[in-house]
Amino acid sequence: MREDWLSEGRFMREDKVGAIVINSFALLVVLGMAYQARSQDATKPYPKMAPVEQYLMERNAEIQLARSAAPDSISRNATILILGPQGYETAVQGTNGFVCMVGRAWGAAFDWDEFWNPKVKTADCLNPQAARSILPVFFLRARMVMAGRSKAEILSAVKAAFEKKQLPDLETGATDYIMSKSAYLTDQGDHNLPHLMFYTRVKDGKDWGSGAAGAPVMSSPDWFFSPKEQPQMKGLPPILVFLVVVTNRYDGTPAASRRMIQAVQRESGMAPQRLSEEEKQCGK
Amino acid sequence: MRKMNIYTSAIKNLALLVVLGMVCGAMTQNAKTHYPKMARVDQYLMADREAEIALARSAAPDSIARDAEVLVLGRNGFETAVKGKNGFVCIVGRSWTSAADEDYWDPKVRVPMCVNAAAAHSYLLRITKITNLALAGRTLAQVNETMTTAIAKKEFPPMEPGSMCYMMSKQGFGGDSAPHWQSHLMFFFSDTDPAGWGANLPGSPVVGIADTSEHLTQFVIQTQRWSDGTDDLQVPPRVHP
Repeated sequence: MREDWLSEGRFMREDKVGAIVINSFALLVVLGMAYQARSQDATKPYPKMAPVEQYLMERNAEIQLARSAAPDSISRNATILILGPQGYETAVQGTNGFVCMVGRAWGAAFDWDEFWNPKVKTADCLNPQAARSILPVFFLRARMVMAGRSKAEILSAVKAAFEKKQLPDLETGATDYIMSKSAYLTDQGDHNLPHLMFYTRVKDGKDWGSGAAGAPVMSSPDWFFSPKEQPQMKGLPPILVFLVVVTNRYDGTPAASRRMIQAVQRESGMAPQRLSEEEKQCGK
Repeated sequence: MRKMNIYTSAIKNLALLVVLGMVCGAMTQNAKTHYPKMARVDQYLMADREAEIALARSAAPDSIARDAEVLVLGRNGFETAVKGKNGFVCIVGRSWTSAADEDYWDPKVRVPMCVNAAAAHSYLLRITKITNLALAGRTLAQVNETMTTAIAKKEFPPMEPGSMCYMMSKQGFGGDSAPHWQSHLMFFFSDTDPAGWGANLPGSPVVGIADTSEHLTQFVIQTQRWSDGTDDLQVPPRVHP
């Protein structure tokens, strides 16, 4: 049976909140509705930073996971970064301009409730445009996190760096491959979803049909998910991230199941509370 | 260069008609031109205006297409049939914009597409110009020359950032060379190297085509479902089989 994620039309239809929220560093994907639902819960699952070692990985495992973000034809010649105690460092020097790495939750939107989730390990391969314009931001954030800085301090530092033009402008065509089946993108669902992400200056996700029922496109602001947080955007360049679900994982196997979306649907109270037999099969 | 085998804006479909079409086994081995000259204009038109509107809208999910502007082909080019309000514009492309060269005059070709506002301001201008030229009886070579010259003179704007289109209809016909294609999205850029997107590599979900003469790069990403929500169960594209 073919598995797919493109049933999002069903919940996109109920898009009162605004499509799917994508965490910022190509990490992932949480329904905006679920986000809101959870944010109403006073219990934050990850209120503070975990011990540093929980964010680290065994070197070879990290390299392997990073490479699984994109087909071998791309990742085998990519630069590979790994996270060390001081931040990201180069483990393998590449030749094709792509950079693959394992992102952490704190690279995502500042208001994501999994921001400090140490289980999040996202595999990303950024194209040259994204490597030049997106990675420097992430490097800064990683250095500060590993130094034990707070979320507020990180945000302040990013703004200051942009103000001083120490961080680059977004390049046109900045793209991120996220096609691994071994990553952990979120606590939601089955934690994975093969997709491409596009960093853009597009002002409104609807310009790409994001959020429309049946459209295979989702979008989210890069820095903060919630519209309520937009005042904090001052000093940050507006970036709208689009997500396009792809049909296969990096190794050519069919795309992931619908379990994550279904889980989020259930959490937000807008989907059937029980999986049908067919959905159970799809989810395996 | 489209002059030999890729029509400018038709590259968008060529990526599919050639790449995906091959996968579907639909590619004819014989490149013989079945349509050496223009058919009667009537044959390119759809007599049923409502049918053309419906076909154009089938390029995107109803949630997008129902509020889109719809153009239909008249004797003198595309004309507005339905005013839109969401910035998208849906049309049914014809052979001169959407088929392989040997099908340039195939009057049966029908390629639904819904372009977003950014593409309507840039990409679609080329499509409509090409259509006007074709309806005036210009050959592929003449159209190529005219378009290349016009673009060099900057008579057409570069691709507006964020230009893209939906091509998720399963009702279209791409010509005898490759009748059907897979549901997909397309993205339009000016002068972008496909390699920068990782396009056309084994396993990559991205097909990219750069036409330097037109300063146009088009990327194709297959989607899993048709606009009506049904599964597209065709095999994935293989650029380098």
